[in-house]
Amino acid sequence: MSANEVIRIEGLVKRFGRISALNGIDLSVKAGEVRAFLGPNGAGKSTTIRCLLGILRATSGSVRLFGQDAWTDAVELHKRLAYVPGDVNLWDNLTGGEVIDLFLSLRGTKPDRAARQKYLDLFELDPSKKCRTYSKGNRQKVALVAAFASDAELFVLDEPTSGLDPLLEKVFQDCVGVIKARGRTVLLSSHIMSEAEKLADSVSIIKDGRIVMEGVMRDIAARGASLEELFLSEYKGRVS
Amino acid sequence: MTTAGYARYSRFIIRRERVVGLIWLLAMPLAAFGLASLYPGLLPTPESLLSMASTMNTPAMVAMMGPVYGLDSLTPAIAMSQECLIWFAIASILMNIFFVNRHTRVDEELGRHEMFAALPVGRLAGGASVIVDALVMDVVITILTALLLIALDVGGTTAAGAFAYASSIGAQGFLFAAVTLLTAQLFSTAHGSMGAAFAFMGISYIMRASGDVSGGALSLISPMGLGLKVQAFYANAFWPIAALIAEAVAVAALALVVNARRDVGSGVFPARKGRDSASRFLQSPLGLAWRLSRGTFIAWAVAFLTLGAMYGAVLGELDSFVEGNDVIRRMLEGQLGAKSLVDAYIPLLGCVMALIASIPVVNTVNRLRAEERRGRLEQVYARAASRRAMFAGFAAIAAAEAVVFTFLSAFGLYVSASGTGLVSLGAIMGASFAYVPAILTLAAVAAMLVGIAPRLTALTWALFGYSFIMMYFGRLFDMPTVLPRLSPFSAVPQLPVEAFRAVPIAVMCGLSALMCGVGLAGYRERDTRY
Repeated sequence: MSANEVIRIEGLVKRFGRISALNGIDLSVKAGEVRAFLGPNGAGKSTTIRCLLGILRATSGSVRLFGQDAWTDAVELHKRLAYVPGDVNLWDNLTGGEVIDLFLSLRGTKPDRAARQKYLDLFELDPSKKCRTYSKGNRQKVALVAAFASDAELFVLDEPTSGLDPLLEKVFQDCVGVIKARGRTVLLSSHIMSEAEKLADSVSIIKDGRIVMEGVMRDIAARGASLEELFLSEYKGRVS
Repeated sequence: MTTAGYARYSRFIIRRERVVGLIWLLAMPLAAFGLASLYPGLLPTPESLLSMASTMNTPAMVAMMGPVYGLDSLTPAIAMSQECLIWFAIASILMNIFFVNRHTRVDEELGRHEMFAALPVGRLAGGASVIVDALVMDVVITILTALLLIALDVGGTTAAGAFAYASSIGAQGFLFAAVTLLTAQLFSTAHGSMGAAFAFMGISYIMRASGDVSGGALSLISPMGLGLKVQAFYANAFWPIAALIAEAVAVAALALVVNARRDVGSGVFPARKGRDSASRFLQSPLGLAWRLSRGTFIAWAVAFLTLGAMYGAVLGELDSFVEGNDVIRRMLEGQLGAKSLVDAYIPLLGCVMALIASIPVVNTVNRLRAEERRGRLEQVYARAASRRAMFAGFAAIAAAEAVVFTFLSAFGLYVSASGTGLVSLGAIMGASFAYVPAILTLAAVAAMLVGIAPRLTALTWALFGYSFIMMYFGRLFDMPTVLPRLSPFSAVPQLPVEAFRAVPIAVMCGLSALMCGVGLAGYRERDTRY
């Protein structure tokens, strides 16, 4: 594993009983890179990410972050990463502010109050409301604020903008721009091609638990193809 | 037209209930049938009926299950009603609370109600459908239960008795359906609405218990006390049923009036705002575990103090109760030698309270699994929090609950009984704390299952149920001695009647630590999954 590799997955297989969700994923993401991670529902994106987070244990293969094992060194590794799930479930009887603080402080560092306030303002989130009263989009914002207000080195974003309106989608893109400029690494799973096209340096496409295509955005643009065309062609089985 | 679309909505509810509702509709009458069928075998002779009635006619039992009646003409049917009616009433009440809350506040909170509000459906269609459907369910359960009991025909069964018994179950349930419809209007969250309905049930039970023991009017004010006044298979009074239905109709009407006037999504009591940032203590796994358990912890703490005080008040009247009852007097004295009646009661009360205390304690352990299933813990574990810390956090809170709840119930008992001069604080605390290892054993079983067999966490409740039955029937009937021994609660030395035995206590503590360790080891190795 080279020194500047942040994510290194080799031959990752994950089975749930007899069902095989991942059939040998290989993925390598360098420091400072924004990698789009595309694939339709059920292709294995979230399973890959959960293995990356040490929430699921790999059946075989290796998953390493910052050179450490994602399962055994999970706690140490998670001090250095921030995660936003696509479907945010929150505790009914806690407020958004409490959840953000909880998430920030569970990273093991002292929460940065100024950053927290900045992102609360940016995403226009009222932190004193109980989570049970939040809409889907507002629950999503809680997770986004908690992630961006942290000083993580790696951001794992699993369809992070589901439920956000276009204005907030723009805010989100600006936030990714800022962390990218600071040299942070981002793994962005998404269904929104324009979002991935705008933000990503490179792209990996997953199909049936395997990576079927990898490329650098510059090259794709140079070939005159859009990401959407590429994605659709991969899934329809013909190349445009 | 405020009830436009009523029929359609009502059918929609029944469709949504076709599995859960059907299970309740069949399970309640069948359980009533099954339990009743045991009675002729359990109590075959007039002597056994009388001896059972004597046991039942003691303050702790009256407080638990209601007043004894029909002593001049005891039958197995009367004994059955005496011991079972209250439990079926509670089950029926729970069913109604869950049912109404599910179709009112829960729907509203999840935004599902909105879709209907956007359709041409009257404002009252929802509320009216729910309460009428609840009534239909209660009537079906009543009729099925009564018919099954008539068909079973245990000694002393009459058609009037069977209908008095069954309609008391149905009518109490229906009143609580109406109460829940009202709380669903008052509180703006499903949690608050259901909590209020449960609180009302708890108050009704406690009012009934103290009314039944002291012979006061509290039993008539409490719906659960009223429900027992039917005296099924003896007096067969139907006026309590009529009173319960009248109350239910009045409460439901009030609820619908409020329903028609309020905004969708709002309540009479608005949702409170909370803190806008986390306290220092919350910012750790233990802190999170505590914060998630805090509300129920406080509610149970109050309940245990009250429960202890209630039993304590009864304890003072123990002698006057036994005064007029030679059979029980001889029975207890023969058993105890020189010890006083009160001393004989203390370990029984300790056991009852310990069993009840194990409900919230096991719930706290199982919450670790519940949180996992709802997909919340993965956000915690995605951060620098270890599974060990989270597991230890919930385990520590469960253990603390076992100690605190035991202390509070014993303390409540002592305070309210201290006026009689019959009890010492040391004796009560000793008898109660002897049961803490048994509670911990049950909690450790839960922890082990969460760790190594998360799909089988219900097994803990099976062990709980077994222990409860052994405590309850093991004392009432002669059982083969091996059966009760399988319950941790039966292994506890009966202080102050028996001498203290360190071995069972040490074994249970060691076993608890071992099972907890196995659970933790399993929990660290397995996937975190829904």
